[in-house]
Amino acid sequence: MNGESALACRDVTVHYGDVAALVGVSVAFRPGMIHAVVGQNGAGKTTFARVAAGLVKPVAGTLSIGGCEVPTGNVNLARAAGVELVHQSFALPPSFTVAEAMEFGATGGGAIYSRRRLEARWGRHLASLGVKVRLRDRIRDLAVELQQGVEIARALVTEAKVLILDEPTAVLSPAGIDTLFARLRGLKAAGVTIVLILHKIREVLAIADTVTVLRGGRLVEGPIATADTNASQLAHSIVGSEEEKKLTGADEAALVGASEAVASAAAPSARAASAILELRDVNTRPDPEGPTLGDVSLTVGRGEIVGIAGVEGNGQRTLVRTLSDLTELQSGRIVIAGIDVTHTPLRDRRAAGLRVIPFERNSEGLSLSSALWENWSARKLLFDRLLAPISPSRLRKECAEALDAWDVRYATTTQPAGSLSGGNAQKLILSREVDPAANLIIAAQPTRGLDVGATAFVWRSLREARARGCGILFISSDLDELFDISDRLVVMLSGRIVGEFRPPYRLGDVGAAMTGALA
Amino acid sequence: MRSALRRDREPKVDQFVIETLRYGTPLVYVTMAGVLASRSGIWHLGLEGLMIVGCCASVIGVVETQSIVVGLGLAIVLCVLGSVLLWFVIEKLRANPIIAGLGLTGLGLGGTDLAVQSIYGSQASVNAPFGLPRLGPAFGPYGVLSVLVVLMPIIVFALWLLLRRTRFGLRLAASGEHPFAARSVGAKPPRLRLIALCLGGVLCALGGTELALGSLQIFAYGMTAGRGFMGFSAVIFGAAHPIGSAAAALFFAVVGALGIRAQLIFGDQVPHDLLLTLPYIATVAGVWLSGRLRGGARAAATFGELRDY
Amino acid sequence: MKTRLIAVLRALAFVLLALVLCGVIFEFAGRAASTAGNPYSAILMFQSIAEGAILNRGAWQDSLRWALPLFITASGVAISFRCGYFNVGAQGQFYVGAIAATFVVDGMRGAPAALVIPLTFVAGILGGAVWALWPGVLRVKSGTDEVITTLMGNFIAGLLLVYVTAGILKDPSGTGQVMASRPVAAAYRISTSSGLSPTIIVIAVIVGVAMWLLVNRTAFGVLSSLAGRNPIMVVWQGARLSRLGLAGFVLSGGLAGLAGTVEVLGPNGRLVSGFLPTHGFTAILIALVASLSIAGTAIVSLFFGGLAAAGLYLPVLVGLPAAAIDIINAAIALFITARTWPGLERLFKHRAAAAGGG
Repeated sequence: MNGESALACRDVTVHYGDVAALVGVSVAFRPGMIHAVVGQNGAGKTTFARVAAGLVKPVAGTLSIGGCEVPTGNVNLARAAGVELVHQSFALPPSFTVAEAMEFGATGGGAIYSRRRLEARWGRHLASLGVKVRLRDRIRDLAVELQQGVEIARALVTEAKVLILDEPTAVLSPAGIDTLFARLRGLKAAGVTIVLILHKIREVLAIADTVTVLRGGRLVEGPIATADTNASQLAHSIVGSEEEKKLTGADEAALVGASEAVASAAAPSARAASAILELRDVNTRPDPEGPTLGDVSLTVGRGEIVGIAGVEGNGQRTLVRTLSDLTELQSGRIVIAGIDVTHTPLRDRRAAGLRVIPFERNSEGLSLSSALWENWSARKLLFDRLLAPISPSRLRKECAEALDAWDVRYATTTQPAGSLSGGNAQKLILSREVDPAANLIIAAQPTRGLDVGATAFVWRSLREARARGCGILFISSDLDELFDISDRLVVMLSGRIVGEFRPPYRLGDVGAAMTGALA
Repeated sequence: MRSALRRDREPKVDQFVIETLRYGTPLVYVTMAGVLASRSGIWHLGLEGLMIVGCCASVIGVVETQSIVVGLGLAIVLCVLGSVLLWFVIEKLRANPIIAGLGLTGLGLGGTDLAVQSIYGSQASVNAPFGLPRLGPAFGPYGVLSVLVVLMPIIVFALWLLLRRTRFGLRLAASGEHPFAARSVGAKPPRLRLIALCLGGVLCALGGTELALGSLQIFAYGMTAGRGFMGFSAVIFGAAHPIGSAAAALFFAVVGALGIRAQLIFGDQVPHDLLLTLPYIATVAGVWLSGRLRGGARAAATFGELRDY
Repeated sequence: MKTRLIAVLRALAFVLLALVLCGVIFEFAGRAASTAGNPYSAILMFQSIAEGAILNRGAWQDSLRWALPLFITASGVAISFRCGYFNVGAQGQFYVGAIAATFVVDGMRGAPAALVIPLTFVAGILGGAVWALWPGVLRVKSGTDEVITTLMGNFIAGLLLVYVTAGILKDPSGTGQVMASRPVAAAYRISTSSGLSPTIIVIAVIVGVAMWLLVNRTAFGVLSSLAGRNPIMVVWQGARLSRLGLAGFVLSGGLAGLAGTVEVLGPNGRLVSGFLPTHGFTAILIALVASLSIAGTAIVSLFFGGLAAAGLYLPVLVGLPAAAIDIINAAIALFITARTWPGLERLFKHRAAAAGGG
């Protein structure tokens, strides 16, 4: 059908240094529809969204909005043409109030404002979008789903014609996703063209009119009508035949989010002889980083993967920090491998076999400007006394051996950790944490941002650790992943454990627990 | 009887207020420059250097051309140049802001020393034939204060309006707190930081001019004596809020004035130099207290940069 | 090794840039100096500096005299910075160490040298360590930013120095002009005013070797380096950041105090109010130019020692302002932590991606 497209680009190519994030991507989106752009991590979806919004300037290629060509790499021009982007990791300063967050993205209006006028102006706007929030609240105090509502409202402050949302479903509960989709349908009815970056096929088929697939920075397919395709075809396009060969059916379904009902987990593990981790009635002190834990009791057996589900910000971080002795306990006990470690520092807990793969790879797991060997040796060095003599050359050699065993691509062990790709950086962390002496591995969002190959690698490594008798606590906001990998699933809400499930997992039940629908 | 007592007490209160304003006005100017920088995401440790450049340039300008306008103008030009240099080093060369700021301070201290030694040939201080215009006898005892003192609260209020009640202020705050968010609405953090630093440069020039020509009419090597750093601490103490930081600066000024007063009252009983340490100790206490109240430490990361992802 | 070569080249490039800026400033100042009847050009300035630092006869010895104490303080600064804490209070810690040393050596007049000298050193080291301990504790326990506290500590220590040299320790035989303590008795001196003696050289060598071993051959060295670049990561590994950090503070303070003691017992021979006011800042600069490596600090100390020697030569023998040296130091500080030149970023990203892709 002819007609000008709402958003189109031709031959867009983006280079980050030597890496090609997008290569020759040409696509056109028709107005008034919901378009999905899918692909695995690293496929270039976010880069594509940012090019369209003018945040990233491609080295080649053109962009046209509403039929008119718009110069690339200019946010103001893109916004003036009616394109707005809602970012994956929120782009609102945490200390701003909601009213200020609305205002700072606005155009027009007076130079000086008063607080009252601000609240009046934006109060109406937020109410019209159904976002129930107080204008004086600060962004950092809002729950995740409400933050996203405010982000969307901020993007709609100007009369947006094209609204791009980058992975909006990643942080939402199933109920939150439904609410979001309802809101998007309302916007579509009002004439807004919506481009959704997603990576779960289930969601694509639920909401989108067309779907476009990116893989490795290239356009593989699309835009095609979702009615004309199905889950397995999409899965094939997203993953690619090379990688598909290496994956089991269940894993692939989990990667692309295709399953409706849930996978049953792999062969049930033999009854655990003893628990490797026991938390009994743990309550923590108030902590600026998250909600306190309330009467949390949890066990992880040897050779068992326990998944922790829940919308981000409901205590998962507090749980991991409590186990790492970074948050103070008010009451309760923690027992690792039969030893009460409630009052022992992290160093001793690690000596008992505790290992942690932290949430934030770059800020909590690695020192990006330090060498690979230094990052890798940190755990070992902390077991010794501070003044113990070391031999850097021997450490470098041991590091090289470990990195080779874990198939990390690197040039020399003295290169900075920041020069590794995401997948390799995660493997570096795994090579450090998943050593033979590990008993209990806390994996916090271990596959976030990783591509297909790296994700599968992490799953494989953790399953091997489980086979060796490790207990693993796996925290993720990706339910498909959790369903695929967990022997047992626990749901957290507001710092409490509100549900425990065994396979086969049902999305409806788990989703309800996540939002507190279950008592 | 009572009226006699009152007459006797008032001049002392007046005197104290005057001393506080004299000590505090340069400090508040410099603090406002620090607030601007801090909001834009830069820990400005070059305030001390800019301030002394302001002192020296204004005095030399007045001595050489007998014009206060030229002196002030020279101070402003040089301070803005210094601010642009700092911006270039931090933004374009990606240097560490703390060390670059200390370097700028060193350049200011050394540069003023070099200028005085070169032009006047000795290391002694430079006397200015006259200072800033005063308020005049119409204001009673407060007539000895300079016009820049009166300008100070106006500037504090203007900055409050700018930073807390305009979109520019919001975008500036975003540049410091979340540069990516700023970019996503089309603002350009580097440019906003340049504006903030240049505005701050003007304020430092005003502060330096007030210090050198407000009441003293002299330039002496090292006369800022850490006021630039005290201003920086006032910014921390006041959480980069214009009015809060100005209040913190005035608090440090009160402590300083108390120290001077104590010297007059106690004479030789209390060591002169130890009393001079009071403002520095107050600064440490202020920064400590603000850390306790707000959960402390650094805005920018170690050796590092404003996060922009 | 390539990364180290790049670091050295980068440091050199920015030192050069700093010198260019200084050249511009010197030209301007030199022209303005014509009003005082003593104009100079930038070339003349640089030439004179080179003479004072290395070219003249005896310049090498002078440079070394300054380099040795600077090296001692700078290695401490390097360690503190490696730990991630901006201890910029080296000047204050240097002063307090000197004050403590003077109290001991003055108060123990008459006692045998074999007793007094070691005790003086202990006092000096402890003095500097204590003056670094309080900002360290404030930082580690209350999160109080150490840049401010140590900077304020410099000012307070400077005033303390004025106070003691005008009061308690004042040399009764001196004139009213210079505030200083009584000269240290000859028996306790560890060098003449030339500043070079086996004792001082040995001290510097011991400090150098010990610090090099600490940084490069112990767990503390690696862990503190990691902590300096990313404290959060090290905390997640189970390190007690407070212990690492405090150790860094105390060690650097102690070394600065040691340098102060060396100056008092050595070339200075007494405690003078306001002496060596730029020692601390210069030491910080040395550590930065050397990219916080101990071996590099030794080499760079010679360079800055030469500058300091030139600083004395300029006004006395050539009539040029000594502030020129301060300007060179400050300009180097301004540029030395720079990491890139506009436009070069693309080149660097290319290298990084090539090294680690996958």
